[in-house]
Amino acid sequence: MRESLGPPALVVALLVYPFVDRALGLQTVHAVSDGMIYVLLALGLNIVVGYAGLLDLGYAAFFAIGAYAMGLLNSPVLGSPLYGHAWSFWLCIWLAAAVSALLGLVIGAPTLRVRGDYLAIITLGFGEIIPVAIRNLGDVTIEIGTWRPIERLNLTGGENGVNPVGRPVLPGVPFETDPVPWYFLILVVGALSLWAMSRLRDSRLGRAWMAIREDETAADCTGVNPVSTKLLAFALGASFSGFAGSIYAAKLQAITPGAFEFQVSIMLLCMVVLGGAGSLKGVILGGMLITVFDRIVLSQSTFLVRSIGRTVGVPALAAIDLTLWRWFFFGLGLVLVMLLRPQGLAGRRVQPVAADAEGDQPLAPEPSSLPRVEAIPMWLRERMTRAAAQEEAILDVRGVSKAFGGVVALNAVDLVVPRGAIIGLIGPNGAGKTTFFNVVTGLARTDGGRITFAGGSLIGLRPNAIVARGIARTFQSIRLFPYMSVLDNVLVGEHCRLAATVAGAVLRPPAVIAEERRARERARGLLAFVGLSGKDDDLARNLPYGDQRRLEIARALATEPRLLLLDEPTAGMNPRETETLTDLIGLLRRELTLSILLIEHDMEVVMGISDRITVLDYGTRIAEGTPAEIQRHPRVIEAYLGTGYEREPAVPSP
Amino acid sequence: MTGWEVLIQQSINGLTRGAVFALIALGYTMVYGIIELINFAHGDVFMLGLFISLAWFTLLGVTGTLTGWQLLTVLPLVFVLTMLTTATLNVAIDRVAYRPLRRSTRLAPLITAIGVSFMLENVALLWKGPAPIAYPDVFPSFDILREWFGVDSAIFLTSKDLLVVAATLPLMVALHYFVTRTRWGKAMRATAQDRETAQAMGINVERTILITFFVGGALAGAAGLIQGMYYNIGQWWMGYQAGLRAFTAAVLGGIGSMSGAALGGLVIGFLSAWSDQYISARWTNAIVFSILIVVLVFRPHGLLGERTADKA
Repeated sequence: MRESLGPPALVVALLVYPFVDRALGLQTVHAVSDGMIYVLLALGLNIVVGYAGLLDLGYAAFFAIGAYAMGLLNSPVLGSPLYGHAWSFWLCIWLAAAVSALLGLVIGAPTLRVRGDYLAIITLGFGEIIPVAIRNLGDVTIEIGTWRPIERLNLTGGENGVNPVGRPVLPGVPFETDPVPWYFLILVVGALSLWAMSRLRDSRLGRAWMAIREDETAADCTGVNPVSTKLLAFALGASFSGFAGSIYAAKLQAITPGAFEFQVSIMLLCMVVLGGAGSLKGVILGGMLITVFDRIVLSQSTFLVRSIGRTVGVPALAAIDLTLWRWFFFGLGLVLVMLLRPQGLAGRRVQPVAADAEGDQPLAPEPSSLPRVEAIPMWLRERMTRAAAQEEAILDVRGVSKAFGGVVALNAVDLVVPRGAIIGLIGPNGAGKTTFFNVVTGLARTDGGRITFAGGSLIGLRPNAIVARGIARTFQSIRLFPYMSVLDNVLVGEHCRLAATVAGAVLRPPAVIAEERRARERARGLLAFVGLSGKDDDLARNLPYGDQRRLEIARALATEPRLLLLDEPTAGMNPRETETLTDLIGLLRRELTLSILLIEHDMEVVMGISDRITVLDYGTRIAEGTPAEIQRHPRVIEAYLGTGYEREPAVPSP
Repeated sequence: MTGWEVLIQQSINGLTRGAVFALIALGYTMVYGIIELINFAHGDVFMLGLFISLAWFTLLGVTGTLTGWQLLTVLPLVFVLTMLTTATLNVAIDRVAYRPLRRSTRLAPLITAIGVSFMLENVALLWKGPAPIAYPDVFPSFDILREWFGVDSAIFLTSKDLLVVAATLPLMVALHYFVTRTRWGKAMRATAQDRETAQAMGINVERTILITFFVGGALAGAAGLIQGMYYNIGQWWMGYQAGLRAFTAAVLGGIGSMSGAALGGLVIGFLSAWSDQYISARWTNAIVFSILIVVLVFRPHGLLGERTADKA
């Protein structure tokens, strides 16, 4: 009931509010409109912090850029490049958003490669530089010796800011005298932004942001380009800030650099964190709470405490000014929310972890449904057989080396995966098996050698580009996106096969709707295939261990690979689960002609399903051959298998 | 003053500034080295160190310039008291705001650190008010070149410049000894390299972190006291500014590296002094932060830090 009644009631309340306010003579419309601008800012910051997981401490800088773009272009005093000819508000608002987004890109491009906490500091530095630059660019004099090429040039209005700023002009609408048109302007912009944001969140792009937030490396290895994904979040967040800033400037009629200091960034961060990063409702709630607290609660309780102080006769209380404590309360709020409710007021309550990723807790008692030939999704089968080409070897690795400092992890290793083959990669711990996977998937750079996949070289490609070429992998220690749903995990896998852009995600033309529906059908098909039907909406972290392994395989299959790299897929599984998984791997090869490269310590599995086996020891390939050859190979027995494993007595040494 | 004299004077200036930055930067780098947290509140501990040292002077009845034997008794006493107070404060901050989040995401304690920073600044604001506070001229001030050497030059090398060096150097030497020669120092270095292995080897990791915060806080307190005696002024927001410059110094030197923090502090000290003189004080902050950004982007391991791969 509440679901159906809530939104219309809210809309009516928002539409009626300014008239009620006027009828009652409350005169709160100005304050509420200002509060809504900050909520809009917080929503923009939420894209960066909540969705993409990038802590931005200089977000107010983009607010400033939006405001100054409006101020400088639209002010009748400073005026546009065509000095003194103020441009239309309706044009400037778009220009402001574009300039902010552009600066977001310029700042983001070099900095987004650094780690999360470094990024926070860089954005902080940027947030400090912008107000300093605005102040100082109001009076620029360059003096070299006695030569003064530029003298007292005023670019930004300096400390005094820009005053006045032009108002929007709309025939018949009194923007000059009445706060109500402003209220509705901000309401419309806010509602449109919210609509766009919610659509972005539920799109291919929103899933990519969250995947980056959850595990950047895993996202990269699932086909999501971390750099462009983060840049997009940065630029979009900045553009919303530009909108908010430009309206703010025109509404306030004057802007000064002081309005965009570090504290503003922190207040916005408070709104996001308090409400619940990543939740649109939460951020709106957080924004409203903080605005109300800041503008009403603090001043009103000051009156209250003072009057109590006067009646009781305590001069200290009578003279108190709680508004001075403003920033203390914001600081306290940040600490308390992080300590007591890190997911925020509206954040999803996280259940305790069911599987502790260790693999030592009891496994799912239910025998998992056996993979069946009929269960293979039809589309996957079509993709695979269509992709079948003529070349003999799908992956051809020649002389690949990798050293970490003085430790040689890989020493001129050769390995060939023929089309449709299952190749086992075995060796003692630390032999370089996982390093080999990392080199092939682009996580580590080779020191030398060739890696050819389906006829093209992979050297120098980023992991997500390699996924797009058709190599998917799983990780030795499972790396899912823990706080995303099971279905979304698989959908992230499809990311690189989908095409929706920002405009497509927001406007949803028929092509995008069809694409999204197809993607979901495919993801459900894959989940059914690996035996995870009906768990679409569970959080990935809450799945039992064995299910997590299979979900990781489903996610890898969603990238439509031609070569699948499995890093110890049966580690931590009981014999029955191991058997199920072995069947699954066999099925993938038989039915889909999928080539598989497999790291495995369970000798029964690896000897049972591999066509050929390569053995690594101390980074060097010590043997290569069929399972039977490997079992008899003296060096393999010495280095890895041990003497107990020979089925027949080893060849007597000469 | 001739051009050379200006340069020398500004370099002396840069040296003293840099020494203070270095002391603060050491606290950043030690904490980052051990728990990978940018302790945002550290600059504010430095700021409170200045006010706390002032409170200790007042409690001990010092209002004017110290003379003779007082310099050898009262001054070291205030150093110790201030350092103990800020060290305890720093440990308390860790206990309350960071320790519960040790197993949380990386950004969670960073957010609480920002919150703590705001709280500390406002405590100072409400304690001392928004206006700059005059710090008494407790240390005798005279021009060494003129008084001791009888050199009459346009360059001033004051007794306070000497104080900064005389106070900073022993602290750094002591810290170096502590970290490289004592059991606790060894535990710190082990924990910084690999917390889990250190734990497995029987090192009490939580106690090691506590010691790190204690030492870092003590150094920040000393820096606050030195700053107060040198500049005779204190303000509630100075911790934020100095903290960012000191953090830049730590990053420039290579975060996690102690000698890097000392070197970075000096470099930032010199650069900011020269920028004030030759470009414009208005632009110095922008220049320092640009250095910070450029270093983080292009040489995140800094001048002396080791190139560390992200833990995959």
